[in-house]
Amino acid sequence: MAEQLILLTVGLPWLGALLCWAAGDRHPRLQHTLAVSFSVAAGIAALLLIPFGYERPLVTLPIGGAFGDFTFSPDGLGVFLAAVATVIGSLAVIFSVDYMRGEAQLGRYYAFVLFFIGAMVGLVLTTNLLLMFVFWEITALTSYALISFHNDDPKAVAGGIKALIITQFGGLGLLIGALVLFAHTGSYDILAVIANPGLLPSGALAWMAFGCLAAAAAKSAQFPFQTWLPDAMEAPTPISALIHAATMVNAGVYLLARFFPAFEGVPGWREAVMAVGMLSALLAAVMAIVATDLKRVLAYSTVSQLGYMVYAVGAGGVFAAQFHLLSHSVFKALLFLGAGAVIHSVGTRDMRQMGGLGKKMPFVRLVFVIGALALAGLPVLNGFWSKELILEVGLEHGNPLWMLIVMLVVSGLTAFYTFRMVWLVFYGQPRTELHAHDAGLAMKVALAPLALGTLSTWLLAGSFSRLLSESLPAHRIAAFPTGEILREVLTAPVTLIALLVIGLGLAAWWQRDRLTGLSQALASLGKAAANSFGFEAVNRAVVAVTQDSAEKLRSTQTGMLSWNVAYLVAALIVVLAILALGVGLP
Amino acid sequence: MNPNDAFILAVGLPVIASPVIYLIGRIATRKNPKVDLARWLALLTLLADGYFLFIAGMEFIQSRHELLIAIGAISLRLDGIALLLAAVVLALGTLVTLFSGPAVARDNGRETYFALLTAMIGTIIGLGAADDLFNLWVWFEAMALCSYVLVAFYRNEAAALEAGVKYLVQSALGTVLVLLAIGLVFANTGSLDLDEIRLAAQPSGLMLAAGALFIIGFGVKAALVPLHTWLPDAHSQAPSGISAMLSGVVIEAGLVAILRALGALHLVTVSWGALLLGFSAVNMLVGNLMALRQTQVKRLLAYSSLSHMGYILLGVGAGAVMGSEYSAAGGFFHILTHAMMKGLAFLAAGALLYSLHQAVGNHDPLVLDDLNGASRKYPLAAFAFSVAVLGLGGLPPLAGFMSKWQIFVGGFQTGNAWIMALVVFAALNSVLSLGYYAPLVNRLYRRQPAGIVEQGRPIPVLMSVPMVVLSLGVVVLGVWPSLADWLTGPAAQSLLMLFGG
Repeated sequence: MAEQLILLTVGLPWLGALLCWAAGDRHPRLQHTLAVSFSVAAGIAALLLIPFGYERPLVTLPIGGAFGDFTFSPDGLGVFLAAVATVIGSLAVIFSVDYMRGEAQLGRYYAFVLFFIGAMVGLVLTTNLLLMFVFWEITALTSYALISFHNDDPKAVAGGIKALIITQFGGLGLLIGALVLFAHTGSYDILAVIANPGLLPSGALAWMAFGCLAAAAAKSAQFPFQTWLPDAMEAPTPISALIHAATMVNAGVYLLARFFPAFEGVPGWREAVMAVGMLSALLAAVMAIVATDLKRVLAYSTVSQLGYMVYAVGAGGVFAAQFHLLSHSVFKALLFLGAGAVIHSVGTRDMRQMGGLGKKMPFVRLVFVIGALALAGLPVLNGFWSKELILEVGLEHGNPLWMLIVMLVVSGLTAFYTFRMVWLVFYGQPRTELHAHDAGLAMKVALAPLALGTLSTWLLAGSFSRLLSESLPAHRIAAFPTGEILREVLTAPVTLIALLVIGLGLAAWWQRDRLTGLSQALASLGKAAANSFGFEAVNRAVVAVTQDSAEKLRSTQTGMLSWNVAYLVAALIVVLAILALGVGLP
Repeated sequence: MNPNDAFILAVGLPVIASPVIYLIGRIATRKNPKVDLARWLALLTLLADGYFLFIAGMEFIQSRHELLIAIGAISLRLDGIALLLAAVVLALGTLVTLFSGPAVARDNGRETYFALLTAMIGTIIGLGAADDLFNLWVWFEAMALCSYVLVAFYRNEAAALEAGVKYLVQSALGTVLVLLAIGLVFANTGSLDLDEIRLAAQPSGLMLAAGALFIIGFGVKAALVPLHTWLPDAHSQAPSGISAMLSGVVIEAGLVAILRALGALHLVTVSWGALLLGFSAVNMLVGNLMALRQTQVKRLLAYSSLSHMGYILLGVGAGAVMGSEYSAAGGFFHILTHAMMKGLAFLAAGALLYSLHQAVGNHDPLVLDDLNGASRKYPLAAFAFSVAVLGLGGLPPLAGFMSKWQIFVGGFQTGNAWIMALVVFAALNSVLSLGYYAPLVNRLYRRQPAGIVEQGRPIPVLMSVPMVVLSLGVVVLGVWPSLADWLTGPAAQSLLMLFGG
């Protein structure tokens, strides 16, 4: 039963992808139907798989040799993320029925979305590190293909290629990790190294640990690789919701959480993880404050919230990180899809041209505000509970206090930019004449469950902690009933401080006119943030140097035979010299 | 059928059939210009040859005994490397023959084309199986002769002639070096037989010089940087089917010649493997950087062949120097997957070149701008091209990812810091290569087609069949890489035996 469910959760979306592609762009209605039915079916299969998380059955496809056996085993982490990927995936597909209506090349769109969903499920269910890397790269491929779905737009093409190259560059870390694991153990078995990190010599384990950190940072758009995510916002908005907010970007957090028991003993690793998370959370929050593009604000907030999760893993709070991942997936998908409804309706992403849209789009305003309150971390929404749990972890395990203080400040910044965004879009006076209409039926069908989820997923805290606790023995996660977790959050002093900071952030937006002195003092910071603190300049410099050296190298291809022959003679001399010196590998 | 006879036929049939194909094709075309017998005869020859190779190959795989044959002065040996090279060249050659029909149909001399193509396939099979230095050299030269004429097939085009002449001059220089090397080896050991040389070769200055001459001489054909300067011209000016063959197997055949010669000299110095690895690094970097700024599609693909030769060298080099079986198997696996992917890329580019330019009678090269929006009119060719270049860039679930992976695994298993650093460098180069592969794919899927695409002719069915077969192969090997183990495993073992056993 479990075997079939695993194969169905990966296989159904892939089969659907083939069918959508084969259906041909002349039958858009058929394509919509196929995409919705296959993604929903995969979602059901993934939900049915959850109970098997306790049993951890193993499915093996024998391949052998340098590739290891392809194995899948659903445990708590795996089934939970598979469910997130497929359920939010199917909602994004349903939303697309309205959003992508009338678009050309629907086959390519749906094929890649479904291909992505299947790969994401495979990524979290496999226990073979090579296979995980394979799925990791497939998600990067689909992400690239969907970001530049509108290939005629140079910005979309550039954004897609940038995302691909940066995540691939970081992915080298995972590649090194998998190679190190195989070289020392002769297999890619993840579970073995988690159960017994002593399988690897400490030096090799450190390479693996920091390699995985680099890969995770690139995938989850964390410092110093965060620059690709804002540019990925050229993708159609359901893609931003699914891939760049709710699922793929979580893969990095998943990787760190999965390997936490193996890597926590590596000197400096936990501190490095916390620092990466903290810096990402802080920098992105500041950039979100000055951004004017609605989707970019959401993208920065994603980087910032992922920073919380990464920080939590480093701080030793795997459960808190995963719980926030769940909350964030739901409320961020809601925010993105809500933003998609707005953008689809008014035709611009620039918040400076919006304003007062709430009256014309009451349903979208309602659900968007729910999502925004969760993002800001206000009770009793799901984002409140999980964020407080993370902050609490910051106090435990002897973690540095100053990092926790930074994270608290970020929660204030979060509240500030969230209210700014909601205000600029839905409230105040309309700043330009925009034609707006409320969301269509398919959009509402996708938005409503997410809004309900934002209001309620925190009730799952108890069963979620039991699932993780029982199926991940090496992670030493304690199981508590929901009531106890909630009481703990409510009575913790950090919660009170956090609420105060959030209130300060809110008040700052309220009283923004009186704070002109402060905002002028911070103008240079704002300018630096708008230029993404120089990271874009670094990217551009790397590209320029590469292109420049490539261009210069072209002069060696003279097209003149005498030069060609001269190279040949020169090569002969060099080879003779190397041989005469007897150079060998040490 | 006796496996030994099958082996003789597998080597001899294409070479013997070649003049027959030419004669019958020529006569048939003179009687009725519409009849194209040469193509079908060539196809028949290759299929029959595949059958013979299958019988001989199965015998070798099952018994694990190399097949040895001597006919007068010609001595042949079917080992893992010979089998792999023969299987790759036959498979790709058959598909290219199928593909080339429409492309050369309107040109004069199509019977020359198919006769030479068949002969070239035969000579490459012979080269892989050659068991002494003189035979190795003869097969190598025969292969080169066939390929010169095929590169300059469009003999009324100045650019094609120029490419052919450059190729000829540089290869001829290489040939001279190889002859000198053979002379040195013979003078020192008194033998041309590879096994006897292995036993007799002792470290000495002259033998080192012989090795250097082998590397440079054969290396011209194997496109080692900086001996590669003929390649971009030749690969881009040749008919597309021939570009696929040149890039997919001919440069790899050059590498096999190097491996055979150096294997015989392996006791002379420890530097052979290090040299191969050195060329690997240079090839990857130069190939990728040169491809980055290209605007002609076939030139871009030609430069990418340099970098892929780098990956292959990394695999076989680490196998030769450290005895790593995974490395060697990965290197040979990459020869196979590269032949499929680069073959597919050249065929897809060739199909577009044919429908956009050649079918309307012009000989302009296919440039990047011509690809814009091609998927709207040529969905199959665009898809095949995307599969090919993304596979070349090492993205899963395509074959190129898996063969690179096997090379990398082998490299890390050696535990040698230099080789591991080279593996990381190779992986970095894969990322760099996406910088020119990915934009190609983006162009294909634009909605606004280039003007030239809108006026393009349809792609003939026969051209599409090989593209479908290769695309499927690239995906299947990407999902299930161990399917190729029966071919790459024995080749790896043979390489390890060559370099010390």
